[in-house]
Amino acid sequence: MKYALKRILMLLVTMLIVSFLTFAAFALISGDPAEAMLGTEATPEQLAALRHELGLDRPFLTRYIAWLAGFFTGDLGTSIRYRQPVWELIAPKLEVTLCLCLVSFVIITAVSIPLAIWSYRWVGGAFDWLRTAFNQLCMAVPPFFTGILISWLFGILLRLFVPGDFPGLHANFGRALVHLFFAAVCLCIPRCAMTVRMMRSTVIGEMQKAYVRTAISRGNDRRAVLTRHVLKNSLTATVTFLGQTMAELVGGSVVVEQVFGIPGLGRLLVASISTRDYPVVQTVVVILAFWVVLAGTLADLINQRIDPRLRLGGDA
Amino acid sequence: MKKRILAVILLLGMLTTLLAACGSKGANPEKRREANEIVIGIPQDFDSLDPDHMTAAGTKEVMFNVYEGLVKPTSDGNIVPAVASDVNVSSDGLTYTFTLRQGVKFHNGDTVDMQDVLFSLKRRMSEDDAAAHLAALDIIADVNGQGDTLTITLSEPSGEFLAYMMNVFIIPAEYEESAVSMGTGPFKVVSHTAQDSLVLERFDDYWGTAAKVAKVTCKIIEKADALVRGLQSGALDMVSHMTYAQTSQLKKESFHVEEGSMNLVQALYLNNSVKPFDDVRVRQALCYAIDKQGIIDLAFDGYGTPLGTSMFPSFAKYYDASLTDYYPHNEDKARELLKEAGYPNGFEMTITVPSNYQPHVDTAQVIVEQLKKVGVTATILPVEWNSWLSDVYGKSEFQSTITGLTSDNMTARKLLERFNTKAGNNFTKYNNSDYDELYAQAVSCTDDARQVELYQQMERNLTENAANVYIQDMADLVALRAGLEGLTFYPLYAVDLSTLYWG
Repeated sequence: MKYALKRILMLLVTMLIVSFLTFAAFALISGDPAEAMLGTEATPEQLAALRHELGLDRPFLTRYIAWLAGFFTGDLGTSIRYRQPVWELIAPKLEVTLCLCLVSFVIITAVSIPLAIWSYRWVGGAFDWLRTAFNQLCMAVPPFFTGILISWLFGILLRLFVPGDFPGLHANFGRALVHLFFAAVCLCIPRCAMTVRMMRSTVIGEMQKAYVRTAISRGNDRRAVLTRHVLKNSLTATVTFLGQTMAELVGGSVVVEQVFGIPGLGRLLVASISTRDYPVVQTVVVILAFWVVLAGTLADLINQRIDPRLRLGGDA
Repeated sequence: MKKRILAVILLLGMLTTLLAACGSKGANPEKRREANEIVIGIPQDFDSLDPDHMTAAGTKEVMFNVYEGLVKPTSDGNIVPAVASDVNVSSDGLTYTFTLRQGVKFHNGDTVDMQDVLFSLKRRMSEDDAAAHLAALDIIADVNGQGDTLTITLSEPSGEFLAYMMNVFIIPAEYEESAVSMGTGPFKVVSHTAQDSLVLERFDDYWGTAAKVAKVTCKIIEKADALVRGLQSGALDMVSHMTYAQTSQLKKESFHVEEGSMNLVQALYLNNSVKPFDDVRVRQALCYAIDKQGIIDLAFDGYGTPLGTSMFPSFAKYYDASLTDYYPHNEDKARELLKEAGYPNGFEMTITVPSNYQPHVDTAQVIVEQLKKVGVTATILPVEWNSWLSDVYGKSEFQSTITGLTSDNMTARKLLERFNTKAGNNFTKYNNSDYDELYAQAVSCTDDARQVELYQQMERNLTENAANVYIQDMADLVALRAGLEGLTFYPLYAVDLSTLYWG
């Protein structure tokens, strides 16, 4: 209970700080929504009048408090660019991005854990350097590049999906899912490689510990020790890492959404920043902050179930 | 072990088949051709569907098909009656009489009446809605609508009044932006999903020549290479404003590429009020040092028309071709002028470039290399578009910048007025009393021939004083799927969807 309270408090504080920082950043960078709306045709009088209409001529803190008050009473405001309630604008995009992240997460978990165990067998082998090099390559390759490659190969050559034609989740779920699957693959490659590397080194570390030597000396075969003891012990580190992955996937989705033409939250965020549509940006950023804290909390809770020692340690 | 590998391979095979079964039902150009539909790819979202609030060129060029004014442009640069059937101008140029066309309908089926016209006009005249206010209409002294006749009296004659009326789009009285967008054009808006698509449908009660295709979907795809892949995959039928490098990736038998011009003046715009560009010799030196054709060849694969002043060839009447080579590429001359101006060893400068416009970034890179040869060290400062608008365009906080300036109403005035000292958007801080004098004469001139002459003198003034380093009117390459015909280019930002058809 105490734990839950602490977590909720932390969540609130994080969201508050993040929203304030975003608001402050908008006040500091040059350009405002009025300029974005009027473009090169703007006259100074028009700009002043529009700023007044949008309430941009009020002091910074007044605007922030007004936004905050709206947020806590469930009024997220209206997008300046689209003149549409922010929530109406964000909800369908959030859906798509959540789907993309979920698919990616499933792929990462399903691929990297078996791969890590398999790769452990290469340790000390003649071709281990080759595996390491390949892993490094996967980590280094930027998603926009794999994105181009994947859409060319699977989209244009093999015609498994149609680049540039995302059908929408409700219009055709099956086809949308296929489209998201390829985008997710591109998003996953570097994260998978990282997870494999992390898990492999954890396993190597565990295998050198005394209890492993004892277990083996008592006649257990290496493989049984690995699956029965070592994996369990390296699981907490993996879960923590996967929690981070979950948080970072949203950030990575920005590029992938652009390359695959998926109308998601990342694209909306980028476009809204460039048009200085701060009601939208504020809400998206708060959602992202919530997501990051949530992922961390989930990882913590799962770890406590796996490892009783963490529970006994109380709230520390 | 072998069994397991076999299982994995089988599983992968099954997955691929499954995906293929799901995926193949996607967008299909053949089906679209049968249904008489097209999908076009556009690189940015619509900034507003309200005709009086749209500012982005990318929005205007599509909404050209949805909204119309009392008069509208034709592809050869003339202004013809649209919602009005007839326009009369009094001999003193002060009174304009418009007769409404009978039976013009809005997309909801209502007939356009005088009330709607007055509402549309007043919405742009009033200062209540800052974004909609059109300053050029401030010269209107009186508006009088009786029956089918609209009489507008001006306080001073203006040669360009009709051109501004082109942008007074006729919308239903009591129009609200939140309502469905409603115009009188050949296409009506069916739906707009932010950051995804805009769907247009042919308007069957259109007063003029009806559109040929039944439905147009505009897909919003920001990445240039994603647009190319969209064409290749069959998701898109047409994309405008492409580069040669992009069109060359398309198969010749599946696509054809049409070349028009962007109708903009791309230049290295100089801040005439800061050192060293307050010295005309320095500006001239840059003009000699920069090789326009070199830029076009290197960064644009030879596509583009070199320019020498703030005017492009589509405005044939005003365009003075002799100014293009006023400063032929000559590095010795450039060095000489720099020496005279007191910079024998050159100087350092920054070029601020809006980083989201790749063509301008490419141009900047070539210019940096060209300037190096005369001892000038230029550094590129990429900025985001909104910062550019605010700092460079709004506050003139820059040394030099590369951008393309357009005229959204087919008037020469739009291109030239920003260089008069009093202009609010004189971001280059060009300050020349002869120019101001010519401008004052030109705007109040009602004699067309005389006005053309004055505008040409202004162009010459800009060139002689090397106000900016003019580069080119960029080529507009449009890729269309084979069989899609009827593309018409306009001397302003407009993509006429009504003339497109599947051949």
